[in-house]
Amino acid sequence: MKALLISDQEYMTRTYQGLNDLTGKFLKQKGFELELMELSAENLTFCKGCFGCWIKKPGECVINDRMTQINRSIMNSDVVIYLSPIIFGQFSPTFKNVIDRGLPNMLPFFETRPDGSTMHPPRYDTYPGQIIIGYGEETSEEDKQLFIDVTKKHRRSIEVLIYQEPTENTIMALNKMELGRLGGLL
Amino acid sequence: MKNVVLVSASPKINEQSVSRKFLEMAGSEINSDLFSKTFIDVRKSFLTHNLTEDFETLARADIIIISFPLYYFCMPGMLTRFLVDYHNYYTSSGIAKKNVKIYTIVNCGFPEPEINLEAVRIIKSFSQHLDAEFRFGVLIGGGAMMFAAKDAPFMKKAVQKLKSAFSSMAADIQHKNSTTTDSIYIGVNFPFSRHLYFFMGNKGWITMAHKNKLHKKDLYKKPYQLNE
Repeated sequence: MKALLISDQEYMTRTYQGLNDLTGKFLKQKGFELELMELSAENLTFCKGCFGCWIKKPGECVINDRMTQINRSIMNSDVVIYLSPIIFGQFSPTFKNVIDRGLPNMLPFFETRPDGSTMHPPRYDTYPGQIIIGYGEETSEEDKQLFIDVTKKHRRSIEVLIYQEPTENTIMALNKMELGRLGGLL
Repeated sequence: MKNVVLVSASPKINEQSVSRKFLEMAGSEINSDLFSKTFIDVRKSFLTHNLTEDFETLARADIIIISFPLYYFCMPGMLTRFLVDYHNYYTSSGIAKKNVKIYTIVNCGFPEPEINLEAVRIIKSFSQHLDAEFRFGVLIGGGAMMFAAKDAPFMKKAVQKLKSAFSSMAADIQHKNSTTTDSIYIGVNFPFSRHLYFFMGNKGWITMAHKNKLHKKDLYKKPYQLNE
């Protein structure tokens, strides 16, 4: 079983170090082979909304940078944990680039989900289990809730946690989650 | 004269930006005798390395309107970078401009305007971090359709709602007394079923792929499939 732990070089605070140590130990104890990936803004540009990943080179981003390797690693892991700082209740700029440029892993078409909302269908039959853990220094309760809502209100198969005191709660929450590949519900 | 700075943040290049068009509509409702209007295109700002100059313009703004497309239920990465860097610039410069009002216009390709709500909340959070006053957002579903079919009879209602929303924004900008204003939701009332709308949209992707010499089956490629 392979786990990918992704973090952002730009926000390696003391809080981040605590979270990274905790999550890394947790995954090793669970027997995962661990890949650590540190994102850097320099070699990871933003999505330009060209839809080339759907209509020119289906399934792959047409921008030639580190994202090709990131998407390949994500799609071939059993579990991916994103350690993202909470910025304005959202992800950091570089994490957002990774999320936006995950678009090749979906199909272009429209479908209606059971709650009536619109979504693009999955490209693959299964996806890694994905968990986003947000952290920050003096983050307001409003921003924490927004960080959860951005994902939980719109994505069905991605888990979100906030890393905060007491930190044991993060481990308890991780222990309750299924750590393996999931079907293609997006 | 007060400064209105209108920020458009579509990452697309070489294409007409829907976010920019909405912003121009909003700008046209604002009285030019009372307000100076400056447009910033975030994509151009990055391309021309004009960030510092644009940050200086933003720091002088009394009113900021930010228009962008929804990317994965929140801001595009490009705008996230721009606003984070602007926030760092603003706080380190020691500028503390008072009574700045911030508005946003968020559009998405899906028909439901409600899915833009979290993106609006993010702009509200950004405003709070700047110590500015967030006023309200205009949330638009089926954004590109609004312009592609703007002259079609079935679009009349939506176009009227848009004009009315931007006129309310202009009135709020001019108004000195702040009362709470709710965000405005605008979707497209299609004259046909959702199923047919999706069918037409899906056909559009296949047509675009054909232009790139791809067949329908190519759209389903799984380049990262190693274990399945």
